[in-house]
Amino acid sequence: MNGSKKTINVKVNGESYELSIKPKMTLLQLLRNELGLTGTKQACMDNSCGACTVIVNKMAVKACSVLAMQVNGKEVTSVEGLASRDGKLTPLQEAFLEHSAFQCGFCTPGKLMSSTAMLEEMSDPTEEDVRRDMEGNLCRCTGYVQYLAAIMAVVRQRKEGSK
Amino acid sequence: MKDFEYFSASSLQEACSLISQYKDVGKVLAGGQSLITLLRQKLISPTCLIDIKGLKELDYIEFDKKSGLRIGALTTHRAIEKSPLIQEKYNVLSEMEKSVASVQTRNWGTIGGNLCSADPIGDPAPSLIALGAKLKLVSAKGERIVALEEFFTDYFTTIIEPDEILAEIQMPPPAPNTAVEYMKFSTIEAGIKIVSTSVAITVEAGSDVCKDAKIVMSAVAPIPLVTKKAAEMLKGKKLTDDVIEEAAKMAASETDPTSDVHASAEYRKEIVKVLVKRAIKKAFEKAKKA
Amino acid sequence: MNERSVVGKPLPRVDGKAKLTGKAKFTTDVVLPGMLHAKLLRSPLPHAKIRSIDTSKAEKLPGVVAVITGKDTWGIRYGFVDTPNYPAEERPIAEDKVRFIGETVAAVAAIDPDTAEDALDLIEVDYDPLPPVFDPVEAMKDGAPQIHGEITRTTSCAWEDWGVARKSHSYTPVNNVAARVLVTYGDVEKGFAEADYVREDRSRSPGTSHMAMEPHTMVASWDPFEQKLDVWMNHMAYELKRYWLHKTLDIPITKIRIHKTYVGGAFGGKAPCYDYEVICGFLARKLCKPIKIELTREEVFSSCRNSHRFDINIKTGVKKDGTIVAQHVSVIVDAGAYKCSAPVAMFLSHAMCDPCIDRKNVRHEGVAVYTNKNFNFARRGHGAPQMRLAADCQYDQICEDLGLDPVEFLLKNLRKKGDVCPNGDRLDSYGLPEAIKKSAEAIGWKEKRGKQRDKNRGVGIGINGMFSGSGYWPFACTAIVRLNHDGTITLIEGDCEFGQGADTAYSQIAAECLGLSLEDVTLISSDSELCPMNYSNFLSGGLFVGGGAVYNAAMNLREKILRVASEVMRAKPEDIELKNRAAFLKSNPKRSYTFTELMRYHIQKHLGDPLIGYGYKKAVPEIEFYPSLSKGTGRFTDAYGFTASTAEVEVDRETGRVRVLKIVVADDCGFEINTAAIKGQMVSQAVQGMGDALFEEIMDDEGRVLNPNLVDYEVPRAFDIPEIEVIDCSDYEPKGPFGGKEAGECARAAVISAVVNAIYDATGVRVMRIPVTPERMFNALKAQGK
Ligand SMILES: Cc1cc2nc3c(=O)[nH]c(=O)nc-3n(C[C@H](O)[C@H](O)[C@H](O)COP(=O)(O)OP(=O)(O)OC[C@H]3O[C@@H](n4cnc5c(N)ncnc54)[C@H](O)[C@@H]3O)c2cc1C
Ligand code: FES
Ligand code: FES
Repeated sequence: MNGSKKTINVKVNGESYELSIKPKMTLLQLLRNELGLTGTKQACMDNSCGACTVIVNKMAVKACSVLAMQVNGKEVTSVEGLASRDGKLTPLQEAFLEHSAFQCGFCTPGKLMSSTAMLEEMSDPTEEDVRRDMEGNLCRCTGYVQYLAAIMAVVRQRKEGSK
Repeated sequence: MKDFEYFSASSLQEACSLISQYKDVGKVLAGGQSLITLLRQKLISPTCLIDIKGLKELDYIEFDKKSGLRIGALTTHRAIEKSPLIQEKYNVLSEMEKSVASVQTRNWGTIGGNLCSADPIGDPAPSLIALGAKLKLVSAKGERIVALEEFFTDYFTTIIEPDEILAEIQMPPPAPNTAVEYMKFSTIEAGIKIVSTSVAITVEAGSDVCKDAKIVMSAVAPIPLVTKKAAEMLKGKKLTDDVIEEAAKMAASETDPTSDVHASAEYRKEIVKVLVKRAIKKAFEKAKKA
Repeated sequence: MNERSVVGKPLPRVDGKAKLTGKAKFTTDVVLPGMLHAKLLRSPLPHAKIRSIDTSKAEKLPGVVAVITGKDTWGIRYGFVDTPNYPAEERPIAEDKVRFIGETVAAVAAIDPDTAEDALDLIEVDYDPLPPVFDPVEAMKDGAPQIHGEITRTTSCAWEDWGVARKSHSYTPVNNVAARVLVTYGDVEKGFAEADYVREDRSRSPGTSHMAMEPHTMVASWDPFEQKLDVWMNHMAYELKRYWLHKTLDIPITKIRIHKTYVGGAFGGKAPCYDYEVICGFLARKLCKPIKIELTREEVFSSCRNSHRFDINIKTGVKKDGTIVAQHVSVIVDAGAYKCSAPVAMFLSHAMCDPCIDRKNVRHEGVAVYTNKNFNFARRGHGAPQMRLAADCQYDQICEDLGLDPVEFLLKNLRKKGDVCPNGDRLDSYGLPEAIKKSAEAIGWKEKRGKQRDKNRGVGIGINGMFSGSGYWPFACTAIVRLNHDGTITLIEGDCEFGQGADTAYSQIAAECLGLSLEDVTLISSDSELCPMNYSNFLSGGLFVGGGAVYNAAMNLREKILRVASEVMRAKPEDIELKNRAAFLKSNPKRSYTFTELMRYHIQKHLGDPLIGYGYKKAVPEIEFYPSLSKGTGRFTDAYGFTASTAEVEVDRETGRVRVLKIVVADDCGFEINTAAIKGQMVSQAVQGMGDALFEEIMDDEGRVLNPNLVDYEVPRAFDIPEIEVIDCSDYEPKGPFGGKEAGECARAAVISAVVNAIYDATGVRVMRIPVTPERMFNALKAQGK
């Protein structure tokens, strides 16, 4: 078998693409190598660190372990798709900045994507919910405290805003 | 990773015919959460993948008072964890799912893929066995129903034929006066399970006497281990601390664990004693209230 | 100067927006036109002769561009320790033999990573297995397999290059001894004779992974016309890497440019020279094509440097009241196949002890031993965590034996501010006493210590001291601050941003010196061609030395601006203040000139001089020569950072699982330039230290790493984090920028000891071997019948 190329249609960060790819290409390779979206990181390649997390149809997934063929017809958001084009950060990005929630920044895109999806899914998570849902995102630098605080700050902000 | 041919099935029927055509060289792809890593590590190199992830017809959670619960094989872990229906009627599944891998893997990985992986440390199988689960396997030739307890044969091996697809997991309605409890032991919270267990206890209505028991463990044998003697020891007895402790010890003696980087075989047995004891106690308390 | 308005604040990081939007470029993100990918073939055997290598099949695979072996790189040597006494013995590709599983034996360059990987399977290596040795004690016995023959020098070493005139000689390890240290002062025999109580204990710390998130990666591109190598790489100080590439590839040093990339974590593990780096440069030049080598996580675990395994025998003599009178420490360091920094690690295990506690009569002997395993390098603390485990746990036990309180014991034996250590280092800042007191208070020491065993809970304490840069290499930094047309500045300095926050802290320092805001600073950093000389990011010298150079440069510009302002305003410089890009009279703030005006004036009047500040700093200004590693004599650093940590744990006696309830880190890192960054450093170390204490260990079987992935090598995740309290116990360090000093690696060691001592308090069972995994704890409880 030759692994001949196949065509997929996918929307990434709001833009539609028609791409011809080898079936073995992962979503991570699609983003980084085909589309030049290198914000999504690769740190283990075996589904265990979460650095490659992106959002597919509202769900956080690990791009290194999803075949690009499987996002055919779906919508993908990567870290490049969070802030607005004219430079406005999302509340989560602002909170990460304010709380010094990152250091080397290598795990950070993945963490942002996981927490963005989580806050979409849960309206009012407790700190325990947040910690449990962030288990899939490893960070060696921060010790997690400041970025959990950043997420909780957004949760509080949202609650106050909705009152 | 090696190149492979790729087919995306648009119906279960098409999937069955594709897999019967390519059974010698092909593999079914569901969420790929296990499969992609195996391909990358070249532990397996199929020349063709039949992608069934998109089959909506195998993605459902349905309940019927008489026949019980039916979960489509392509239902994701996350869907099971978050299902209000499951939380209400089979809460142990939801609790267990919280401990499976990470949110990202649960979002994309499927219950069918998990069972077909037949990883001896997998979490869902013991809980499902404790709940009396059966599987529906389909192929171009027809379908068959097998008890999950009989599904696994060895490390990473099941009775599924190369041309079969796991379509559905079925469970009887929740039994009265029964509680099922899942418990795990790992070094870090989200770490590899050194042992996990699911224990089902049925009590005689309004008493302390155990009517039926099922103790299932993962990570202590090549396949999910259903204890025979330990469960037998509980039946018909008042579940005092001593009885429970004896049964837990018996459960440990029935295991056949191996040593690895996470724990030695001896230690795994010790943990079985503690974990099974705690799980029986908890299930027992809950069953009395159920 | 003004009230401080930029330093001492938790300002948002200057690299924040780039890192939060995916724009920040890491080495893994670098893609060059026509770039090839290289993969390395690793030895499957721990010790073997290479009879022959057949690469012909691999070369024929479509897409493969080149295959190289040790034949191509024969004779190239490098090493972290490369001194007149200890010549370097590492090589980019194994030549006649392999010494550990995972050693590189060949490299393939191909059009994509998959092709390169497929080609590896086609290379045939004929090995002749040799008997291996894995245990350092076994390796030192007569008749053990000898891992190295005579180690000869192939090029001059840095000591010679820098004119520290000493003649190099070759070195032949006897019984696999890679290096020895012996530090003595006082009279140890007499000390022990005077002691009322003497205790001897053994501790073991395992090899652990730095586990920086970005896997080691390099991209190199050769310009055949300019004969120049452009490099993007994972590093912690480009001067070191550039020097090694220059020596190993024989390319003039200024013909190598290391470009700035952000580095995805380091913790020590990216400082030394690696085989893949030399190979990457070698292939780029050979093929005249850009080459990328991106290691897999498994390669990082099994073939890149891990922390040193230490076995320590510690004997301490004390008076009845707990006063320490003598200590004898014997350290065995399992160096692995090459020595790398093992000689430094065993010396540092002594050097970090000395500023903490006055032990009076000391004998510290160490031996680093070659074994057939992957080899090691500094990880956050470099020898200190291993030594603190031995010392702090023994002190804790001595207190138990003599009925003393560990906190009182430590306070009694501390040095004092202003003390001069036996090697001549002076403690001008010393926040350790306060840190001990405050960390004890925060954990509830008085109420809890020894009183919660019925609840299986306990508290413990650990301490540590850490240098702020040291006099190895030409350990000095330079910085330039340029005044811009609009009154902002451009800061040019070399330090590398690997997460520690250097870019932000240095920008804050420069802004503060000139009365500017953080936004007024444009930063050019971490580029070997654009930045002035920089040796500081490792040995914890970043802020103290690198930041010190920035401070000096900015103050130099400040002086110049004040001089112009005084000329223009006809006022004394001391009567002028700088703020908001302008100079004004303190007595009459309305009388002011903008920096832009002053700059224009200066250019007109002073031959076009646009006002540039220039500053530099050396780690230990008073010394000319390097201190002696093997004897421990000579000045070592100009300032130490200190930490005391306390922890509370709960032990599940049935399973042995330890749960950490709380960690307190009380730290003296001098003045905190960015308080949020300092908190980040402390929390980070608390969590890493907890991982070390409880579960992190590289496991191997006959030299094969058994857990080279993140499923089997478990590191703390979000749910494992206990309550963490960080207490600022800063003591102003007069020689540091604004009073700042080391902050990045002191605390980890203290946390490890605190957790391990708390386990004792909870159970009455002493475990001095980490990690205290559930199984190890379970067995210890069983062994002691508790
Ligand atoms: C880092 C990590 C941590 C994990 N932790 C846990 C854990 O804690 N507990 C746990 O239980 N599991 C764990 N897993 C396993 C995870 O749950 C499974 O990988 C996942 O459920 C597999 O589902 P999938 O849909 O992705 O299957 P795939 O990877 O697509 O398939 C797995 C295998 O099953 C076959 N297959 C899949 N679906 C079918 C079908 N319907 N019929 C026939 N054959 C089929 C495939 O051919 C393949 O051989 C972990 C996995 C990873 C990567
Ligand atoms: S790179 Fe995908 S999980 Fe680590
Ligand atoms: S910030 Fe470096 S790994 Fe998370």
